[in-house]
Amino acid sequence: MKYVVTINDREYQIEILDENRIIVDGTQLEVDYLSVSGQPIYSLIVNGYSYEAFVSSSDDEWQVMMHGNLYDARVEDERERRLRAALRSLASEHMEFQLKAPMPGLVVVIPVSEGQEINKGDVLLILESMKMQNELKSPRAGTVRNIRVAPGASVEQKQVLLSVE
Amino acid sequence: MFNKVLIANRGEIAVRIIRACREMGLQTVAVYSEADRQALHVRYADEAFLIGPPLARESYLRIDKLIEVAKRSGADAVHPGYGFLAEREDFALACADEEITFIGPRPDAIARMGDKMIARKMVNSAGVPVVPGTMADEELPNDELLRLAPDIGFPLLIKATAGGGGKGMRAVHSLEEMPVLLQSARREAEASFGDGNVYLEKMIENARHIEFQILADEQGNMIHLGERECSIQRRHQKLLEEAPSPFIYHNEEFRRQMGEVAVKAAQSVNYNNAGTIEFIVDKDGNYFFLEMNTRLQVEHPITELITGLDIVKEQIRIARGRQLRYVQDDIKLKGWAIECRINAEDPYNNFLPSTGKIELSLLPTGPGVRVDTGVYPGFEITPYYDSMISKLIVWGETRAEAILRMRRALEEYRILGVKTNIPFHQHLLDQHRFMAGQFDTKFVEERFSMEEAEEGKVTHPEIAAILAAIVAHNQTQAAAQIVQRNERDTSNWKWVGRWERMHR
Repeated sequence: MKYVVTINDREYQIEILDENRIIVDGTQLEVDYLSVSGQPIYSLIVNGYSYEAFVSSSDDEWQVMMHGNLYDARVEDERERRLRAALRSLASEHMEFQLKAPMPGLVVVIPVSEGQEINKGDVLLILESMKMQNELKSPRAGTVRNIRVAPGASVEQKQVLLSVE
Repeated sequence: MFNKVLIANRGEIAVRIIRACREMGLQTVAVYSEADRQALHVRYADEAFLIGPPLARESYLRIDKLIEVAKRSGADAVHPGYGFLAEREDFALACADEEITFIGPRPDAIARMGDKMIARKMVNSAGVPVVPGTMADEELPNDELLRLAPDIGFPLLIKATAGGGGKGMRAVHSLEEMPVLLQSARREAEASFGDGNVYLEKMIENARHIEFQILADEQGNMIHLGERECSIQRRHQKLLEEAPSPFIYHNEEFRRQMGEVAVKAAQSVNYNNAGTIEFIVDKDGNYFFLEMNTRLQVEHPITELITGLDIVKEQIRIARGRQLRYVQDDIKLKGWAIECRINAEDPYNNFLPSTGKIELSLLPTGPGVRVDTGVYPGFEITPYYDSMISKLIVWGETRAEAILRMRRALEEYRILGVKTNIPFHQHLLDQHRFMAGQFDTKFVEERFSMEEAEEGKVTHPEIAAILAAIVAHNQTQAAAQIVQRNERDTSNWKWVGRWERMHR
């Protein structure tokens, strides 16, 4: 099975031949791979070099945490790659961003109002949890829409708070 | 002399205190909220009592419930730990009323050091330098503070008189922005301490935060156990501490002077038991009294590692009326210790707290490594309490060895289920400025980024790519097998035979 893995804009062509042999950018490597205690921690031996990493996935990306570095990796087979290329030309910029509560907490302040134009990095809401006031910032520029909570409200994890479009 | 200690706290510090009691042959009583039935301190104590719902103000902050449990269990002493009721005069008084020994200072010392304005005046009149700022006896209204501000000079800090931990604190850079900041500081102080009173202090730039550990018995003997460097902070929350301070390092004369001043500051309120004098030190080595913490500190283990003393046991001995076993000259600092506070927060996402169940916890071990924690696999990190889940502490012969050992220990540490700030510590320990000891209290906020890797740091993006591909591939294969599980490659009879053997 062939995959294209993208990390920091660099693409790696990876073909998995069987359990112990893979080809990375044309070079064949001997690998030994094992999950530690059935957890998403993986031990990988490549040509005699031993590595250990925590691998998790969220949305359509993989996160590899290794030696104190976090690598965001996109793993695609040929079909997924074409599909994404087609989609990208269509939308993305017009997609609505929904701000969700990253943890349960109490809404302290909402410094923005509906219809307000905001920049990337602007604070959208301050949520108090674990005795800390946490600033939730906008990942992109846009217009604030649908504020669904008010200061003083208790919110659950993943509850939609407001949208930016 | 008491024999049974109630620990009015939770988490790692409750476990820490139980351990000291165990080693001294004292009985222990734990208290817990509805959110903490599974907590380690409940499991380790001899007795445990439920004191209320998860919210701290309905459980761990309920003085009446704690006193009730002490009486019911026959506990004749209380250790408050840090946070919660540790610096509350009324709690110490309530214990005294019931003839329960409070393992800590006398109530009046808590009260005087607890009011930051009174503390400033007390130590200043004892000849200890304080940061320039307002020196009033009474609460000053906003218009008065606004009038005084230009004389102190900008930038300055608004601080809560009942404060601590950065709550109700605001940096002010101009008179124009001050009214709004005063309001928000008062609001936060009111919410955190039930007291919205604030005062002003000049902001010392390029400041380092260095504190001295004090031990004082009830006979009036007082010593210090050297300093701790606590400049690595984010939003006034300490993240990494080390002892000794690289700023003082081999300057024994400077340490002796500052230590003497620290003792003088504590003596100004006739302090007893363990406490900490916090100083702000500017880049020229001028130091100012900041505040006194009238309790055990989170970072006390680094002092334990370089002095060989057990501070919690010393607290208990002092509370039992024993005289200090040491004079100042007996205290010799040996080697270097570093503590990393491991918090359930995501360093890649603005340090947002992370909640959830700990799925895996593989603790670092080996030479010179200590972990103080209250969590274990299966334990749930809830949003009710602070986000610190453990303290990783290492000792080394030199600062360099301690740093290398801490890097090694952080790499060994595996926690799954919640996000942690372990990668933050790993990045920090790679910074050249950190290694050189060149940092101040603004270092993390202003000159540190998780994105920028330090030059020369080895990375393995190709290995990460291989791992991501293999894990994704296996997941797809596993999913495909689930879909096809009814298609057996052998006859049904053979399959049934295997199945029966398997379940025999």
